Amino acid sequence: MQTGADVVERYLATSGMDADICSELLGWLKARLAAGHADQIADLFPRLVIPGLDYTTANSLHRTLKRIRSLHESSGRSTKIAVLGSSTTHQLVEMIDLYLQAGRINAHFYEADYGTLYQEFLDPGSGLHRFHPDLVLILVSWRDLKERPAMGDGAEEVRRKVQAEVSGWSDLWRIAQERLGAQVIQSNFAAPPWRVMGNFDSRHPAGFSRFISLVNTALAETAPSEVTLHDVDQLSAASGRWEWGDERFYHQAKLPCPPEYLADYAHSLASLMLAHLGAGRKCLVLDLDNTLWGGVIGDDGLGGIRLGQGEPEGEAFVAFQRYVKALGERGVILAVCSKNTDAVAREVFEKHTEMVLRMEHIACFMANWDDKATNLARIAEQLNIGLNSLVFFDDNPAERSIVRRLRPEVAVPEVPSDPAYYIRALDRQRYFEALTISAEDLKRTEFYRADSQRQALGSSANELDAFLQSLEMVARVEPVDATTLERTVQLIGRSNQFNLTTRRYSNADIRKFMQDPNWLTRTVTLRDRFGDNGLIGVLLTRTESDALVIDTWLMSCRVLKRGVERLLLNSIVEQANHRGLKRIVGEFIPTPKNGLVRDHYQSLGFTQIDEDSGETTRWQLLVDGWKPLPHFIRES
Amino acid sequence: MSALQSDLQKVFRRVFDDDDLTISDSTSADDIDGWDSMAHINLIIAIENQFKIKFSAGEIATLARRGQTVGNMMEMLAAKTGLRA
Repeated sequence: MQTGADVVERYLATSGMDADICSELLGWLKARLAAGHADQIADLFPRLVIPGLDYTTANSLHRTLKRIRSLHESSGRSTKIAVLGSSTTHQLVEMIDLYLQAGRINAHFYEADYGTLYQEFLDPGSGLHRFHPDLVLILVSWRDLKERPAMGDGAEEVRRKVQAEVSGWSDLWRIAQERLGAQVIQSNFAAPPWRVMGNFDSRHPAGFSRFISLVNTALAETAPSEVTLHDVDQLSAASGRWEWGDERFYHQAKLPCPPEYLADYAHSLASLMLAHLGAGRKCLVLDLDNTLWGGVIGDDGLGGIRLGQGEPEGEAFVAFQRYVKALGERGVILAVCSKNTDAVAREVFEKHTEMVLRMEHIACFMANWDDKATNLARIAEQLNIGLNSLVFFDDNPAERSIVRRLRPEVAVPEVPSDPAYYIRALDRQRYFEALTISAEDLKRTEFYRADSQRQALGSSANELDAFLQSLEMVARVEPVDATTLERTVQLIGRSNQFNLTTRRYSNADIRKFMQDPNWLTRTVTLRDRFGDNGLIGVLLTRTESDALVIDTWLMSCRVLKRGVERLLLNSIVEQANHRGLKRIVGEFIPTPKNGLVRDHYQSLGFTQIDEDSGETTRWQLLVDGWKPLPHFIRES
Repeated sequence: MSALQSDLQKVFRRVFDDDDLTISDSTSADDIDGWDSMAHINLIIAIENQFKIKFSAGEIATLARRGQTVGNMMEMLAAKTGLRA
């Protein structure tokens, strides 16, 4: 038999994208309401309001909401929102109303008549003033710009117009503050998709898209902290500017964007308002196996899980971890909830070289064999936050389903099967909107500043040392082991440019070298202040009488000219010394692709010992009296 | 009833939230509760999605005009989709 829980689960599991399943849900809701279960439906309803709804479904849901309200005394918080814009806002307001329900906020709206924005603000007897809003929403489009650059304008004149434009809006903010005592959410301007000057539009003083971008920047810099900016320009760009700028419904009904995008627009605004009302989410709870890495650590082991540079899936997991780490840096609490043996799960965080997330980033680590609903309650308790602050991200549909049923307060987004789409799936939910600048945000700002400094420094040759120093590079040089074997074999199979001999070896070959005392295997991983570059170099040497012969030396081109080669040479000369060997011997076998390293050994101080058949060159370095080469990389 | 009309009726039922709604050539805005200018936009979008077509700004306005019928709408759809009205 079909239960309501099944219908709801099917709808959530398809993210509301399946028209038939949506119809089934809407029919079920209608039947329950007709049967007198308004209380139950009112309690359930907020969870049904998910991002990405199509216009038809969103409209039907809003109709259901109105029906619920007519049958059931609402118990949630309420707030008064005035919406002012130069477009028809009615459809948008209904959607905002819907999406505020996701945070159990009951909004009362005041909508100014089409195109009366200024009158409403300036006339103390206007409907806006009588309404006494908590929040004023100013929704504008590029058509509302009072200032426009003219073709003959110079840069100075354009700057003046930008300032005049922004000061016009700040006057309205002041009125909202002083006379209405209301918070303001101000939309910026979405640039139209067309550019009359083509690419030059972004450079010419009179370029319209340039002008809009200057106004948007000035708004962001001018707005006091009580004024929140809504970045509709980003929304438009993310939707596709031609799509967002489809003007059929502007011409027909003065809609602010095409109807299909109204739900997303409303979700974006509502998320910001929920943050205002303190109803946002605070903590991201992550599963581990197939969520932070590919495979199952308990079965596959450290060397078997897919994580790291060089393999598409492994790279996608790294990318997702980077995104999550950045969320942590800006203040989102990170927690782990995984069915695993604690020690086995922890080992990945502590030992796997490609892990971006480390134990220090995780506020609460819950790996055991209890059910996840119980563990989520424990996490909320340990962190001293409500279950309604949690977002649970798990690739396993069964776990998502059980958590949705047993912990309805927890937000459980759908997770796509491809890890390349994890970031998208999480980001589009807009769980973690922020209004204020915290210490964590400052850290992020610092990061960006350093990035621009890195580029500035790197541009001048005589500042190269300072540049390298500022990178704060940390490298780890170590023998190939189970965790690095796959990546090592991959690099050996794939590297063509920074590869002195281009010898290809199999997994079995490398395992043999790892066992053979005559062979030395080395991998190097490199981290700098901008992130982890992962495993970026492999060096294989063998002993031949009094010489350490470099059989294979390859590196990722991403870390060229950083001094990694010097660090590696220092490390193997030390090994040669240790083994009582007198010489280091290197070979260069030219291929059509490795011209980059033709002078590799020469630049490291080797001398050429022969040039047989004009092809392969052999080089040697005497260990005796040799001094380590300077570099700016710390070894960990 | 043609396949086109049956699909269109499905769209009408979703948009107007009425599982018993039936349409015919002569159905117009006067016959359906709640067919106002907002519902008109909802209807246009739902039809566009169902039939994977787009109406021009002019067609949207034409269809909103008083006295327009489901029959007119189906003719327009038949021309755009190649389906039989």
